[in-house]
This record gives sequence, C-alpha cells and structure tokens, in this order.
Amino acid sequence: MTDPKPSTNDILAKIRAKNAEAAAAEKPAAAAPSIEAPAPIGASAAEVKPAAPKGTGDILAAARAAAKPAGTADILAAIKKPAAAAPAVPAAGAPKSPADIMAAIRAKAGGTPAAASAAPAAVKPAAEVKAAAAPVGMSAADMIKAARSVAEGAPVLPKVVLPEKPLPAKTPAASSKAPAVQVERRSVVGAIIAFVLSPVFIAWSSFTTAFGAFGLGVARFMMPNVLVEPPTKFKIGPPNDYAPGTVSTKWQAQFNIWVVNGEVDGAQMIYALSTVCTHLGCTPNWLEGEQKFKCPCHGSGFYKNGVNFEGPAPRPLERVGIRLAEDGMLEVDKSVKFQKELGQWSNPSCFVGMT
Amino acid sequence: MLNPHPDLTPSVLVGLGWFYLVIFLMNLLWTIRSFKVDGEYRSGMPRASVWAVYTSILMMLSFYHFTYPVEGFMFSMPLAFKDFFDAYFSNPVLYFFLTIVGLWAMIQFREWWTRPTVAWVLLNCSLIFMTLSLTDYDFRQIVGKPDNVPIVAMLFIVAFFTWIYFSRAVDNDRRIAEGRPLFEQEDNEKVLVWPDLVYTELICMVVLTAVLVFWGIALQAPLEEPASSMKTPNPSKAPWYFLGLQEMLVYFDPWLAGVVLPSIILGGLIAVPYIDFNKAGNGYYSFKERSFAITTFLFGFMPLWVALIVLGTFLRGPNWNFFGIYEYWDVHKVEAANNVNLSEFFWNGLGLGIPKGSGVGDILLRESPGIILTIVYFAALPPVLGLTVLRKYFVRMGVLRFLVFSNLILWMAILPIKMLLRWAFALKYIVGIPEFFFNI
Repeated sequence: MTDPKPSTNDILAKIRAKNAEAAAAEKPAAAAPSIEAPAPIGASAAEVKPAAPKGTGDILAAARAAAKPAGTADILAAIKKPAAAAPAVPAAGAPKSPADIMAAIRAKAGGTPAAASAAPAAVKPAAEVKAAAAPVGMSAADMIKAARSVAEGAPVLPKVVLPEKPLPAKTPAASSKAPAVQVERRSVVGAIIAFVLSPVFIAWSSFTTAFGAFGLGVARFMMPNVLVEPPTKFKIGPPNDYAPGTVSTKWQAQFNIWVVNGEVDGAQMIYALSTVCTHLGCTPNWLEGEQKFKCPCHGSGFYKNGVNFEGPAPRPLERVGIRLAEDGMLEVDKSVKFQKELGQWSNPSCFVGMT
Repeated sequence: MLNPHPDLTPSVLVGLGWFYLVIFLMNLLWTIRSFKVDGEYRSGMPRASVWAVYTSILMMLSFYHFTYPVEGFMFSMPLAFKDFFDAYFSNPVLYFFLTIVGLWAMIQFREWWTRPTVAWVLLNCSLIFMTLSLTDYDFRQIVGKPDNVPIVAMLFIVAFFTWIYFSRAVDNDRRIAEGRPLFEQEDNEKVLVWPDLVYTELICMVVLTAVLVFWGIALQAPLEEPASSMKTPNPSKAPWYFLGLQEMLVYFDPWLAGVVLPSIILGGLIAVPYIDFNKAGNGYYSFKERSFAITTFLFGFMPLWVALIVLGTFLRGPNWNFFGIYEYWDVHKVEAANNVNLSEFFWNGLGLGIPKGSGVGDILLRESPGIILTIVYFAALPPVLGLTVLRKYFVRMGVLRFLVFSNLILWMAILPIKMLLRWAFALKYIVGIPEFFFNI
C-alpha cells in the first residue's frame, strides 16, 4: 500500500495483521459466502489457510489457486496443501486424490460459487474477484503482483471455522465391540511366515548377513596364510664382526635393528636395538660424529646404549632378544622386546656378554 | 633421474623478473592513486614522486632479470645482515618471543598500521625482503621448494585479511567513539544475489581454476624417492597445514599433542558460541567491543598456529634442529640438549635421590610433584582466576560456563608454558610415567 515494492517480510507482517483483525472482528461471514466448511474439508482447510501464511510460497500458492492454475507448478503448489491436510480428515466423500482436489479448485477458480455441492471447498471471495478479473494467461509477475495487492488489500483470508470435531479418523480400538467381521485370524505360523517375508525383515537380515560376512572376511584377513616379512629369528654373524665400541647399522635396512657392542654398567656386551623411535615411530639415524641416534621427525636423541636424553621421546629404545647360538653365531629374535623402564634390560636374553 | 632438491637458482633468477614486474605494476597503480590523493610536499613536489622513483627502480630491476639472467643478481642481501640474522635470530625462544611481541604491536598500533599508506609501505618492505632474501642460496632452496610456496602465499593472505579486519574495526571503533553510525549501517553493501553475487562467484571460480592450472604447470609436484619403512627422510615433515601440530609434538607426548590437544582445539572452537556472552560486534567489525575475544583468538591463531607452521616449514632442518633462514641445513649440526623430567629436578634438588622401584606406589611417589602441579593447575586455577583476574567473566558466565571457559584457556596456555619450560630448563615432562605411556 505504502511501499510500492514490499518485501516478503512486509507482506507477511501485513497478512498477519489482517488475520488478527479478522479474527478479532469475527466478521468474515459478512464478506465470505461460504465459510462453514462441511465435513469433507480437505480442500478448504488447505486452500484457505486459517493461520498466517508461512512464506512467499504460500502466498503464491493461494494466489495461483485462486487465479486459475496456469501451469504444472501452480497445480503442484495448490496440491501440496490439500495433500498434506487430506490424511488428517479421511472422511467418506472427502476428496481423496489430488486430482479430485484439483478439480474442486478449478471449479472454484472458474468462478463457480462455493455453493456448488460437488466441490465442497471454501474459497476466498477477494481472491476470487481477483481471479475473475485476471486474464486467463497471466504471467508469473502478474500473479505475484496480484498476490501482493490481495495481501495488502482486502481481508483475504477469512477465518474458517472448522467443525468442532471432524469425522473420526479411524475406528478407535474401543469400538471393537462392533464385531470386526471380515478379519481373518492368522495362525502363529502364518504370522511368523508373514513377518519373515516382509520387506523390512528381508532387507535387514540381508544387510546383517552381508555385514557379518564382511566382518568375518576382515577377521580372516588378519590371519594370512603366508607372511611376506623378514623372519623374526635370524643369524647376524659371529660376535667378533662387531668391534667393541661400535654401532653397526648394516642390519638396519633389512631387519630394523642396530647391533651395538658397548659397555653397559661396566660390562662389555653386544645387544640389538630396535630402530623404532619411542616417540612416534620414525626411524632415527645413527650419527657417528655425535655418537647418538637422532630422530628426524621431532628431534629425539638417544645415547649409544639406547637411553633417551633429548627431544620428546619418553622412554629408551627397545632391545630385542639376542643370544649366542650353538654354532657360534649371534642369533637375534625380534619377536621379543625388552624395555629398560620396565627393568627388562637385566634379562640375559637381551645381551651377549663379551668378557 | 629424479632429484627432489634441484638447484633453484636459474628459475629463481627469471622468477625474480616476474616478481619485480608484479611489484612494479602494483606500485604503478599506487603511484597514480598517490598522485590523486596524497597531495604535495611544501615545496610543491607531489608526494607521488617518491613512489614514482621507487616504481621506476622496480621496473629496471625487472628488466635486468629478464635480460641478463645468467649474470647473477644485481642486488643481494648483504652478508653482514645475513650473518647477524642467523647469529641472533636462529633460536626458537627469540622466535616465539618475537611473534608474541608482534601480536602485541599489531594490536597496540592498529590505528597506525591500518592506514593505507603505512600498510602499503609494510607490504612493500616484506616483498622487497623476500626478493632480497631469495638471492641467498639456502633461503631460496627452502622457500622456493614447490610445497613451501603455498605457505608464503598463506602468509600474505593472512596478513591481508588481518589488515582488512583491523582497518574496518579501527574505523568502526572511531565511529562508535564519535557517536556516528557504523560503517555497515552507513555504507550498506547489500547487493542482489542475482546477478551480483552469482557473477562474482563465477568469476572467482574461473580465476581460481586458472591459477591452479597455471600453478600445476609452472611448479612441479615435489615428488621424492619411493617411501621405505627403513628410511625416514631427514628432516621428515608433515603436510604444511599440520606443521603446527608437528611442532607441538616436539614438546608433548604423542597422545597428548596428537590426540588430546587437537580434540580440545576442535571442541573449544565449537564451544565458543556457547561461552561467548558478549552480544556486541554482531554483524559489524569492532575491536574495542570484543577486545578479549579477539585477542584470545589471535593469540591462538597467530603465534600458536601460523607462526608454528612457519617455524616448522622454514626454520626446522635436519634432525629437527633449528636453523636460521640463511643458514645451510647441516645434517651434523649439533645442538646440545639434555632434557630432564620434573621428577628428577625435584628429587635431585632435594638431595633425596629419585625414588626407585617399579610398583605403582613408587611410580606415583616419584611423579608426585608433577601430578600435584597438574591437578593444581587444572583444578585450583579456575576458581582462583574466577575470583581474581577473570572475576568479571565469572559473574557474567555462571559456574559451569566459566569452568569450561577457564579450562579451555588453561589448555591453550599449556602449549606456550611447556615450550618455555623446555627452552628455559630443558624440562622434558612434568609427569613422566613411561611405564604407563602417561607423560604430560
């Protein structure tokens, strides 16, 4: 009215105000001829929305339904509401299919008065006038404009008084004393068979089966027939291959161990250290010049004996099992680990004394 | 033969030509703007003339690099500066300290550095610093690595967006102080989705695609030799966006820095809307009205994330040692470090000797100073803070919200605290129980 180009919010605000007025004055009967909707109100309840419209879509839908459905979109918009409302009032004689509803709406929009008993739907008079005035093939912009002017102008959305109690939606359980004829009682076996053959059961059981098979497959994958890994027990040559005071990196690439011949607590011994950093599992490098293992990832440093002293590594490198085999060769067993912080380095299986 | 670290000198020589060309064009536009806007000196000479001289020098440098690229660099970073920089700035303590000071200065002098001319001068300084530093072999080998280029770009982008924020906020703060309407109300920037926004998005998509294609062609993917579980590259770096996390891992146990702290960062960011009771600054830029929230965010973002990414990318070299930006990455650089747990400090300091024994009770006794300290930090500090420093927030938030808020703040604070303790006292862990994989 005042604003030549009202926004959606403005329109909604106006519509709400109108609705409030209309509700307060209780005067829709004077303007609207067909307010008291009969029992089958599927279409009317939907088309004439008693509450404030919620969005532009509602307004457009109302305008279009009133104006004469020009395109598929209009019809759909008109259908949406009845279709949503219809199930709530499933009464005999109510328009059941969208097609019925559409027929009713078309009859309305064509200008037939609401009294037409074939289509028991209520129509807003103002909108009807608009629709009558509007040319049949009006454009979308015109429709919107029409909708806006309608929204601003007349109290377009009269209050629809719904019947106090619509027809009972379904036979309540209490009324079962009325003999439920025609209902056959199934046997227990029949009920079970029916359940087993139901789509829900089939879908969920096949899903469960497939998922279970997948789980079993994963479990099987964890136990391979063949392990393509270096053996955990292997010979690394005689002890005098490893000169006192040296760290041998020659098995690092193949077996992930360093072999150290060093002095620990006053005793000369050969031990094998795992090359896995105890911080986050990178492979440190042996720096001969600095006599330390240094991890390139976060800078952890370990002495020659494997004890951590710098960087974030929380505990010493792990020793693996080593022993002097019967043939005089050193034999490393990587399947066992010895951790200093747990006091396991005193175990004679993790070093070979060199006296 | 795949060489993961080729000599970048020839490409940088030509690339600098393009670099100078871009700076030249930028400054050409700036000179025009300056001529229109800046006015004249007292002598009648337009202020733009200074920019004109500078711009023409850039043009000549660009020509030089395009024309005689084999003869080397015309200007190089002075050796004295490089030595000075490497000698005094290549340590993490000073680096971290400077980032904090930088954050403070950024907030303190926001009215100064958000002025267009000042910001433009700062941008030019950083660009010229880049071009001069690229003449240093070690610098360009690190910065010019194809996977480090996005980090350089990120720095400029972060600086740009920070500048946008601060300039708008300073403007609005001034408006609020003077009682004028906000910039967002006065200069309403609302536009239509169609066509304005959709067209802008289309143009952005096309430009972004073009940039990515050009980037993919111009900079080769940094492929290296096939991975091997036996050999870890030295240095071994995470993707650039995780380098902040990798730097955190230097100071913390993996489960803390890799699992707990990232989860708390995510959870804390999610919790921010529920913690924040300050309704001001909603829909407009402002610093004064949200100074605490913004300072806290910037502290977590600038020194504790962006600066750590830069630290991890450019300043961490072989063996994860700290290197100056012009320093050769020597695999055998020795950094003396001997980290000690708090329990060793405590018991040896008392002259009692570290409690021996491997029972649970012995271990708990050994680590009791750290455990008590940690419990006090997380349990006693929030009430103390709520009753003293953060009293205002406690009153506004209520007990539960304040506890969540103060614990998040304390969690954020443990990173710099631990870093400082490591640097100052070579402290390894406050609670160190390797027996249970529990280290704080």
